[in-house]
Amino acid sequence: MLKQLNRADLDLLLTQISDEYRLQVPQLLADGTRQLAGYTGEAELSLTGEVLQRKPSAFFFPQTQRLLDIDTAGAVAVPQPAEKPLALFGLNQADLAGIRFLDRFFRAAPADDAYLRQRNGALLIGLTGMAGPDNCFLSLSAGDCDIELVAVKESWLALGHSSDGEKLLQNFPEGDKTQLVRMRHLNEGTAAESDLLQQASQLLIEDRVPDQFWMEIADRCILCSGCNLVCPTCSCFCVQDRNRGEITERSRVWDSCQLDAFMREASGHNPLGTDALRTRRRIHHKLAADVERWGEFGCVACGRCDRTCPTGIGMMAVAEEMVKCFGPGKP
Amino acid sequence: MHPPTVDNQSIYAPRSCRLLAVSKLTPQEKLFRLRLEDGRELNHQPGQFVQVSIPGLTEAPISIASSPTCKGYFELGVRKAGLLTGALHQLQPGAQIGIRGPFGRPFQLEALLGKQLLLLAGGCGLAPLRSLIQYCQKQSSAYSAVQILYGARSPQDLLFKDDLEDWQLSTNFNCRYTVDQAPASSCYDGETGLLTRLLADVQVEADNCCAVLVGPPPMYQPVISALHRMGLNGPQQIMLSLERQMRCGVGKCGHCTIDHLYCCSDGPIFWLEEVEHLRGAL
Repeated sequence: MLKQLNRADLDLLLTQISDEYRLQVPQLLADGTRQLAGYTGEAELSLTGEVLQRKPSAFFFPQTQRLLDIDTAGAVAVPQPAEKPLALFGLNQADLAGIRFLDRFFRAAPADDAYLRQRNGALLIGLTGMAGPDNCFLSLSAGDCDIELVAVKESWLALGHSSDGEKLLQNFPEGDKTQLVRMRHLNEGTAAESDLLQQASQLLIEDRVPDQFWMEIADRCILCSGCNLVCPTCSCFCVQDRNRGEITERSRVWDSCQLDAFMREASGHNPLGTDALRTRRRIHHKLAADVERWGEFGCVACGRCDRTCPTGIGMMAVAEEMVKCFGPGKP
Repeated sequence: MHPPTVDNQSIYAPRSCRLLAVSKLTPQEKLFRLRLEDGRELNHQPGQFVQVSIPGLTEAPISIASSPTCKGYFELGVRKAGLLTGALHQLQPGAQIGIRGPFGRPFQLEALLGKQLLLLAGGCGLAPLRSLIQYCQKQSSAYSAVQILYGARSPQDLLFKDDLEDWQLSTNFNCRYTVDQAPASSCYDGETGLLTRLLADVQVEADNCCAVLVGPPPMYQPVISALHRMGLNGPQQIMLSLERQMRCGVGKCGHCTIDHLYCCSDGPIFWLEEVEHLRGAL
């Protein structure tokens, strides 16, 4: 299904969606960042621009998420899903890949009910094409959303990738196929980042990166854990209890593998007991361990960790350095 | 929030358990006998663990120390090592706690059938191994010989002393234990030295022997080397339990990863050949 939406059509589509969903749309906030925020119909949409500051996957796996309540008799109460499911609009190809990665992880048996309470029934609306900063081209999605809006000049090609998406688009006018073909041509030249990750991954899988490298990278790490907190595929969490009268609220909170206590056991044994081991883990897990377990990188090349890291050792920077030092042509 | 329910709507929901009995094993360790409040059996297998939940203190992973052949209860041997285990040590019979599980890949029982078994435990590792030993006791004809070797730090750290005595007296087992050091003041007159010293005297038919190791991380390399020297070099000859910080028990929280594996769900029991090539596994 290919439709074409002008601005009025887009507003109509969003209004329709907001009747049935808790719609989040990209907005430019007062601090200059682009964020997803609740749709009001009034606030101005930010339809082109930088990567959304916060990872959209946080709507399904938020920084703090209630798991359950326990009363003094040991009875357990599990939170109920919200009445209206979420709809996220404005996701780029990497955002969607990140959600797909988490979907597979949290749906793997036994399925994680806390994640699914937010995720089930949610609508994902990609925004690709000429929707980057200064209308530069953003890669097309892999079809892992319900609706994909491909920005072209002053309108959007609308693709329905699921039955829910197609239903929402059914009354809009047909789209221009030649424009879609042009966008797909543009899409063919956008593989540079994954080439770099592929080379770095191969070096790790072949164990060609010496410990000295990780010691040097670790020396530059200030343990802020920002890389983990902004990563759309990071899923590690710790659990905390809070007592409120006769009820204990049990929640999970994002954790970071860059912190010393991450794997430390009650006995004192710590399999990640040095900065170098923890730094290696951050990169190795995404580029080698995830490939072994899930068949693909745990990095979707969204660029958030590279933008966030105060000392310049985000994923792409480390991958580049690794390939420069140990890649093809190096001894 | 939904009104309270008793069934498990969440993989994170603990089930209510009643503490039936508590006994002191060592100055740091106690044995807790528990029963699920709904009257059901835990239905675990030797080598598995549970998450013990105490509201306000979250959860801790604890190995199950009794065999599934013991009906109407299960037992946990717990060392006082942190807030939750400290609180657990304060509890008296009749207290209520939460349990999730059983979790994890158990000892591969079918692979042990007909074999000479070498069951090796160090320190707290005797707790999960006790589950297997009790299980073997119930069907001793299934194995051609069972040798139990156990090492503790000092005489007062020896766990399950009554069981050790029973196993020594049993015709089904050959059981020996040692302590690293016995203070001159103690009345201990048993063997001293590391577990590997006990292994030096052990005779096995290497081709028909399977070793099971449960102990603290420093125990593994020297014991595995000794087993290799004894001729245990084939696949499925050395089974071991790995210790990690298992926060959720269901492969989600990420704290127990070993390369691409999750110790809590892919393990904690592994064949040596599944993990020996993974950096940091042993």
